[in-house]
Amino acid sequence: MRVRAAMVGGDLRQMTRQIRYEQLAFWRNRFGAVFTVGFSVVFLLLLAAGGGTTHDSAIGGIAEIQYYVPGFAAYGVMSACYNNLGISLVNRRQTGLLKRLRLSPVATWVMFGAILGNAAVISIIQVALLLAIGRLGYSVVLPDQWVALVLAVVVGIICFTALGVAVSTFVSSQDSAGPIISLIFFVLLFLSGLWFPLKAGSTLDQVSNYFPIHHLIVAFFAPFDTAPHASPWAWHDLAVVAIWGAAATVIAIRRFAWEPRRS
Amino acid sequence: MQVEHLAKSYGGVRAVRDVSFEVHRGEVFALLGPNGAGKTTTVEILEGFRQRDRGAVTVLGFDPAGRPRELRDRLGIVLQECAVEPNLTVHEVLTRNAGYYRDPRPVDEVIELVGLQEKATSRVARLSGGQQRRLDVGLGIIGRPELIFLDEPTTGFDPGARRGAWELVRSLAHDGSTVILTTHYMDEAEALADQVAVVSSGRIVAQGPPSSIGGRDVAEAHIRFALDDPALAGTLPLAVQAHGGVYEVTTDDELGVLRALLDWSRDHDAPLVGLTVTRLTLEDVYLRLTAGHEVGSDEQRQHLTASTASTASTASTDEARREGTS
Repeated sequence: MRVRAAMVGGDLRQMTRQIRYEQLAFWRNRFGAVFTVGFSVVFLLLLAAGGGTTHDSAIGGIAEIQYYVPGFAAYGVMSACYNNLGISLVNRRQTGLLKRLRLSPVATWVMFGAILGNAAVISIIQVALLLAIGRLGYSVVLPDQWVALVLAVVVGIICFTALGVAVSTFVSSQDSAGPIISLIFFVLLFLSGLWFPLKAGSTLDQVSNYFPIHHLIVAFFAPFDTAPHASPWAWHDLAVVAIWGAAATVIAIRRFAWEPRRS
Repeated sequence: MQVEHLAKSYGGVRAVRDVSFEVHRGEVFALLGPNGAGKTTTVEILEGFRQRDRGAVTVLGFDPAGRPRELRDRLGIVLQECAVEPNLTVHEVLTRNAGYYRDPRPVDEVIELVGLQEKATSRVARLSGGQQRRLDVGLGIIGRPELIFLDEPTTGFDPGARRGAWELVRSLAHDGSTVILTTHYMDEAEALADQVAVVSSGRIVAQGPPSSIGGRDVAEAHIRFALDDPALAGTLPLAVQAHGGVYEVTTDDELGVLRALLDWSRDHDAPLVGLTVTRLTLEDVYLRLTAGHEVGSDEQRQHLTASTASTASTASTDEARREGTS
């Protein structure tokens, strides 16, 4: 037992080390870093400048900035775990990086876990950054129930990572990875109330209810909702996201390939 | 390493039909064959990347199918067409990968071995094709492997870099590493390999030391020369074939023919310009053995058009096999 525990300890150290190299590579790639992290910050600032302090009846008359900060925090998680990870996995598969990973002497779960762990680290950095901007720049009221926010972040990371891995198995060329994966993402984002809160019962609300993005935004917003009697726990929304995540996990495991796909 | 009756199919395509060979410690073993012959699939099974359908394989005492960590720690793999993280530097990538092994070579030593001293702090994305290939080789040897797989290791190298890579392979073999090499370059196989196996359509069609494979050592010799005065050609002491200004004699008694030619040359005061004697080159053997697998070169095309029947390709393959195994 002790030998086994020591091996797992070694594996975890190896994974931490690997995540550090993943981070180094991610922040060096300016385009990816700006697109993933810069995008959410810039949009938050633009929306705040364009009326962030106005009050919106769709969210019970509270200040819009109180909605945008958790909304873009959710965007940051989805962008790192679905969009960035999905595109990066297609690139890695098609250029042979996944094959190389599979052939390395380190356990495959350690190496692959580091890629997913890297997406989680980027997500958490973004959530922290957006909360700091909201608090310091716009006096956003931070949640009383931190656990509710942490839960939403964890569920979001896990489920959108699964979605990112799953979508990467459907794209067979590097050239189409960005357009296909990002197009799906931004169309659904538009429908899902990132740029403006959806009115309950509206057509957009009904359509976006079938997809996980709207639900994750709502789950992130719930702990920030300052309306009287609002619950910080969005159980229904978290459940929908979890179902999508579970389905994506099944698809990802069934379809995953280590070697380049010849289209 | 032992491979017995290895077979692997993808869907209905039988990529590897029946491959058997044995490689001894410290040997350089080359797999030669056209694209799609089954070389890469064979190597991938030995590396543990792919599962075999049939046959028995032992690599360093392990069955690679279970991908034992112990085995992977002792293998070095240089892949073909395989990227390295573009945003890390040469030194960073090698340092990272050194950490995967129990007893790695020092990073600076590897950088020197592959000649990337001046590029150590450059990002991988800024390396030329040949430099990236050298980094691949560096990643393959960083773990001090006992067995190294080199999949077309010098593709894209300039001649100087190729010679450098050959020296490196020789020194690795000299230090006791076993090397499995796949290559398209005949001179590379000839220069490096102790044993060569020619793979065609999923089978090994010939195997042996590069100097005698396919009967090279007992095959006929080709004697070629030119004459300053073509009018003298009619007085030559034996039948020659003329190709442009070059005369060619094919014989299994090259010493007798040379003696006759040299006597004639002295008597007629006619120098044999550019005289060469060649046996089958490894390339000749290779092309004959793999003919019918794919029509890739002019010689193969001539070979195929020589027989007009629609079964030309099968016929020539059978012929090649008979010759190869005799």
